[in-house]
Amino acid sequence: MGIIKDRYAIVGVGESERSRKSGTTPLHLALDAAKAAIKDAGLKATDIDGFMNYNEGDSCTSHQLATYLGVRPKYVKDIQGGGASTEMLIADAVALIEAGQLNTVLIYRSMNGSSGTRVGRGYDPDMLQGALAGGSFVIPYGSASPSQWFGMYATRHMHETGITKEHLGHVCLSFYEHAQRNPKAFLHGKPLTMENYLATPDISSPFNIHDSCLELDEGNAIIVTSAEKAQDCTSKPVYIMGMSARQCHPHAHYWNDIDQVASDYVAEELYENAGVTPDDIDVASIYDCFSWVVMRQLEAYGFAKRGEVGDFVAEGNLKMGGKLPTNTAGGMLSEGYTHGMNNAIEIVRQLRHDYEGTDRQVEDCKIGICTGWAGPDIAGAMILRN
Amino acid sequence: MTQATTAYQKPIPLKDLDNAPYWDAADQHQLALQKCDDCQAYSQPPGPTCAKCGSANVRFEQLGDDITATVYSYVVSYRPFLPGFQDELPTIIALGQLDQVPEVKIMGNILKCEEKDLQIGMPIRMTWVDITEDRALPQWIPATN
Repeated sequence: MGIIKDRYAIVGVGESERSRKSGTTPLHLALDAAKAAIKDAGLKATDIDGFMNYNEGDSCTSHQLATYLGVRPKYVKDIQGGGASTEMLIADAVALIEAGQLNTVLIYRSMNGSSGTRVGRGYDPDMLQGALAGGSFVIPYGSASPSQWFGMYATRHMHETGITKEHLGHVCLSFYEHAQRNPKAFLHGKPLTMENYLATPDISSPFNIHDSCLELDEGNAIIVTSAEKAQDCTSKPVYIMGMSARQCHPHAHYWNDIDQVASDYVAEELYENAGVTPDDIDVASIYDCFSWVVMRQLEAYGFAKRGEVGDFVAEGNLKMGGKLPTNTAGGMLSEGYTHGMNNAIEIVRQLRHDYEGTDRQVEDCKIGICTGWAGPDIAGAMILRN
Repeated sequence: MTQATTAYQKPIPLKDLDNAPYWDAADQHQLALQKCDDCQAYSQPPGPTCAKCGSANVRFEQLGDDITATVYSYVVSYRPFLPGFQDELPTIIALGQLDQVPEVKIMGNILKCEEKDLQIGMPIRMTWVDITEDRALPQWIPATN
């Protein structure tokens, strides 16, 4: 792998409105997000020569987005994917720029995740049996929701490491607290107390509604270019120090093997590529489709030792002023949910010090981590700096 | 039994090229596991080749009908995400770690089990529930039952 450290940057970020019912199409949401990101970067739409998106059959195509921005790009790419796709597509963009194919790439995720296609709902059970690896061995038992799949991992991991339901609550409370400072967070104005959290019944143990990410209509966009071209932008560039992605689970069917997650393998290469250690990280965006997923990644990425992650979150370390302020816009549990891209946008804004002078800014932050989780079997992550 | 006259609403395991021997055995109230002749690893669920080493030298090993295990992990599901589960909530979904082959864990519902009695490490036994005239589904019950 070539050394890309500090040679590429995120130069623009933007989002559409977020709601339960957009009343519009993913193409409109993508246009809103893309225009916001292009404006943020101080670019013209025609400066973008590559468009990429990830989706689950619930979005518009990159070709459509480019068309209605009035751009005829060199390259369009649509992949099927959810969590970790933001990081993986940024790596693709870097590679294509490095290869001399492109100059500047816009990556987006746009979905009517509430009013349109909802993750894990409404699918034909027989289709699911074929679509999921080993689906015939889980679907007949009623296991079709990520809450049930990841819950199986969580129950075992909590049993082994002493993590309690209350510890999960501290993850939720930390992020909800951040959402109260973010007027654009969907759960702004809806704070959560531990009492309320513990009194909320589970949907699939050990998760209740607060442990689970929001389902919303929303579009997000990110623009990546070379460090050289970043100097032409009006925004403050956020440089990519290192990236890594990994698929794991030698047995392919992750339902049978719940003791490892792909993040375990990503971490080592990520820190090596970036040339930093967990102690150097000032601010974090940790993929949070469920509260426990954050706990497991804090362990995988070395922020707390196995067995000590519960104490780490209970001590308030994910909050502003803690050792690792995390998901400072509220995360997918309380800001919005675009399979991780909104968390990536937030880490960029933190590192640019966009919130300077407010109680949302992680003071003097220089280095941040952004992790993605497509499930226990696929992870991607990046370390950024200002 | 009322099952012959009441249509089974839940998803029925789909047999395919690679998993048919497992489900054929299940229909006979037997457990069959795919094993690699080269690296000796079990593949559960079964596939076209060994998921550990990629070898095509895989075959099915018959383990019979006296299958015991311990609960490796579980989820208690209070909402139905698939048809047929709405009348049997909460549903316990568990991974049973086989006593005979500890590296293999098999998912099933634990039947005849109260939520309060459920815990990791508890002994369970495989049972087969006839779901249609010619299909049976492996399930778990507490070993003390």
